[in-house]
Amino acid sequence: MKIESFLKDVGGASRVTSARREKFRKGSPLPEPEDPIRALSDALHPDKMRFIVTDVRDVSPTSKTWRLRSTDGHIPIFQSGQYVCFHLQIGDSVLNRPYSISSAPFESKCDNPFIEVTIRRNRPYFVPDYFFDHVKVGEVLWGSMPFGTFYYEPLRDSKNVVAIAGGSGITPFLSMAREIAAGWLDVNLTIIYGSVHSSDIVCGRELDEIDRKCDKVRVVHVMSDDPDWQGEKGFVNREIIEKYSGEDTTYMFCGPYAMYTFVEKIMKEMGVPAGRFRKDAIAQPDVSLIPGYPSDKKEEVYTIKVMRGIHEDIIQAAASEPVAVAVERAGIALDTHCRGGECGMCRSQLLEGEIFVSPIGDGRRRMDKELGWFHACSAYPMSDLVIKIPIL
Amino acid sequence: MKFYKEHYDVIIMGAGLAGLSAALQLQARGITDILILEKHNLPGGLATSYVRNGIEIEATLHEMMSIGSKQDRLKVGTFFDEMGIDIDWLKVPEAYRFIEKTKKIDITLHSGFRTMSDEIDAQYPGWGDKVYDFMNLCNRVYNSMNILSVTPMSKPEMLRKHPDFVKTVGYSAKQVMDTFKFPQDIVDILTPYWIYVGNPMSSLPFTIYAFLMADYFRGGSYVCRNFSHEMSMKLQAKVEENGAQIEFRQEVEKILVRNRKVYGVRTKRGDEIFSDYVISAAYPNKVYTQMIEPLSEVPVEAIKMVNARKLSVCPVSVMMVLDGTPEELGIRDYNVFSGDTMDTDKIWENYHTLGPYGYLTSICLNLANPGCTPEGYTQFSITALPLVDPFLNVKETEYHALKRRLASEMIANYEETTGVNLHDHIVEIEVETPVTVAHYVGAWKGSIYGYSHSLDDHAVARLQMKEEDHFIEGLEFAGAHSISGNGMGPAVTNGRAAAKGVLDSRKEQKEDYRLVSGYMKLADMLNRRKGADK
Repeated sequence: MKIESFLKDVGGASRVTSARREKFRKGSPLPEPEDPIRALSDALHPDKMRFIVTDVRDVSPTSKTWRLRSTDGHIPIFQSGQYVCFHLQIGDSVLNRPYSISSAPFESKCDNPFIEVTIRRNRPYFVPDYFFDHVKVGEVLWGSMPFGTFYYEPLRDSKNVVAIAGGSGITPFLSMAREIAAGWLDVNLTIIYGSVHSSDIVCGRELDEIDRKCDKVRVVHVMSDDPDWQGEKGFVNREIIEKYSGEDTTYMFCGPYAMYTFVEKIMKEMGVPAGRFRKDAIAQPDVSLIPGYPSDKKEEVYTIKVMRGIHEDIIQAAASEPVAVAVERAGIALDTHCRGGECGMCRSQLLEGEIFVSPIGDGRRRMDKELGWFHACSAYPMSDLVIKIPIL
Repeated sequence: MKFYKEHYDVIIMGAGLAGLSAALQLQARGITDILILEKHNLPGGLATSYVRNGIEIEATLHEMMSIGSKQDRLKVGTFFDEMGIDIDWLKVPEAYRFIEKTKKIDITLHSGFRTMSDEIDAQYPGWGDKVYDFMNLCNRVYNSMNILSVTPMSKPEMLRKHPDFVKTVGYSAKQVMDTFKFPQDIVDILTPYWIYVGNPMSSLPFTIYAFLMADYFRGGSYVCRNFSHEMSMKLQAKVEENGAQIEFRQEVEKILVRNRKVYGVRTKRGDEIFSDYVISAAYPNKVYTQMIEPLSEVPVEAIKMVNARKLSVCPVSVMMVLDGTPEELGIRDYNVFSGDTMDTDKIWENYHTLGPYGYLTSICLNLANPGCTPEGYTQFSITALPLVDPFLNVKETEYHALKRRLASEMIANYEETTGVNLHDHIVEIEVETPVTVAHYVGAWKGSIYGYSHSLDDHAVARLQMKEEDHFIEGLEFAGAHSISGNGMGPAVTNGRAAAKGVLDSRKEQKEDYRLVSGYMKLADMLNRRKGADK
């Protein structure tokens, strides 16, 4: 074959080599270490943030809101419904806890940006106790954000959103309502908010104020046990949901597992298509509520050999608690984010032993299931284990 | 607390396909004392997947080249077989459907040189044989390339045994294709894959184009039944079984160098680990401008090299889960390339902007892998492959809006081209950009394709200049930025080449050592003899 001439054709290899050499010879000798794409990705997902508490206020008889600023002045962009993860050291435990951000995204973009988290303590509980008792104004907290895929996505969701919230599950919708009220998000939001008693309503005053001022946001309270309540009563049910739903609605749910199973059933009955029902990551409930959990093992205690590189630790683990909890209690850092089995941040390797994986929010990849990788936040030891986790 | 041994024979930065393949190749040659450090918490780099509401979504892999059928295994398929890695491969149904909207070209091509030539002949009668000849030329170049990349030979021998390869090396894809005098429609029909090696046909080396065409059309390409995560996990499992230590969430921050020689790495968390050999998945740009410690060990030639080279394209991908089966949604094609023009210079101009992008490729994974979603859903993606340059000035506050705009434009474009309604059926949607890539795998400027294949950065020239491109002893590179360039098939080849670099260097040293110890023995003998003489 011939392209141009025999001589030119056979000289191709030396031609391209000298072209390349020549090109390199002309290259600039000044190092260019800047990578704006990585810089942008680091700005959107900072590795570790140092927050300082600038305000703590009561938002119900049992809940408070903490306002946090980043000590470097930068808060990454987030979307209503996403969460911040705090890295805490409480006693000997090293742990991570996710909290939905209850402030609005626009508040983290203005001068003096901040985020807020709202935590409820209606009964003694490890991490909320810590916040209520120890995290005061001026306190430094380490964390990272934003995480989670529970947010309004205009490419997918209907502009008409009915949010169904239970208890402290109101926080992502509070963020959304604030964003809508300030004119930054174009969504018609109806919040159906279930509480036991009107004194349990978290951020009730603020919600009602937004409801009053903004015609795009409506808040419907539903009390399950409050005889004096004037509005909707009982549990959030199909009738109430249908009453406040319009045409083509996207439903968003955030609340405890027991309420989720109930709402999921209603969605099925109503014939809501899968894409029109979104749920936030759900924290694993007590094992007695997890479908399929072998209750005869509940009282067992096992040992776990935890490998990090060539280092080994032997720790105790209750069959009734996720592997992640045992690891944290032993003071070993493990990066968990969602705590619901979905996000996979705490992906770990099972080298020996048996585990039970909660079917609630099981986000494992197929090959991970087959080759023994599991999410430590939602897996329970069923024998002595050998596991491998990342060195942090 | 000690998490690492003091010293390893080889440290590999990155558990992507290249890093894992490098490890396998080293292990096959008896080097087992290997540490792999991976930034992310998953193996495979971009060959991975993620789960949204219980549905696993393929992150990147459209199709894997160089696998081949069990009867006609190609290079990567053979390597996996030899390494004992058994992946459940599914052949994709067609090479592509190509739709050029202005001239109204609409044709679907399947693999097999004869098959696809016949398909072109059916629409352009009389041209089939010439297309067949052209594909065979591509195939000869492909075979030569595979031989020559591992077997050096003299120029006369090369000319005798691989004449077509030698004679086409110095030309662009366009220059060689022009000699066939195809009508423009046929040129257009044979062009779509160009973007997988990212450079317009006028400056894309024919060698690279031919490699791609022959590989894809010879036996077709493949996907893994359990997503590309299957390939990554099986490679990782084998590498660990062979004795390597792999640690996730460990980003290497510094490569330690003394007297132009590597002696270890330091991770972001501060561990210093020693080795005489480091294989880097990080781009040379990053290594030579940020990572070598001290930077004074970096010769100016290395800086000039990385500054002179041009980064290839990067991804903008819209990944969707749709409610409905492909049949219900009216999606008939596994892979569609579409655009208003097939003039690659014009597309290139468009790819230097922030959209809207005209030239798109779409994949309906279910049509290659029906079990990839639960019953009643479809996994679908649309991709454009622009240059990174327009993204360099995107601000944090604009980023989400930009992603959404690009995605909705791409969805609308596909809908208009095919008449399929996507937007009413979206259950899950994620948009991937160079920023996403930078976040998860840390690739330089979010580049997935390494350096642009061009006539002045030709793979053949890269091979010939291997020694002069090597600046630090003991430091090898394995990724899209190395000789074979981008793609998941080439990633494996690049990893093996990096391993070979280490093996060759160790062999030299062993020979040095033998030589030295020989002298010592000799000296010892002489001394003893001297003693005996006394």
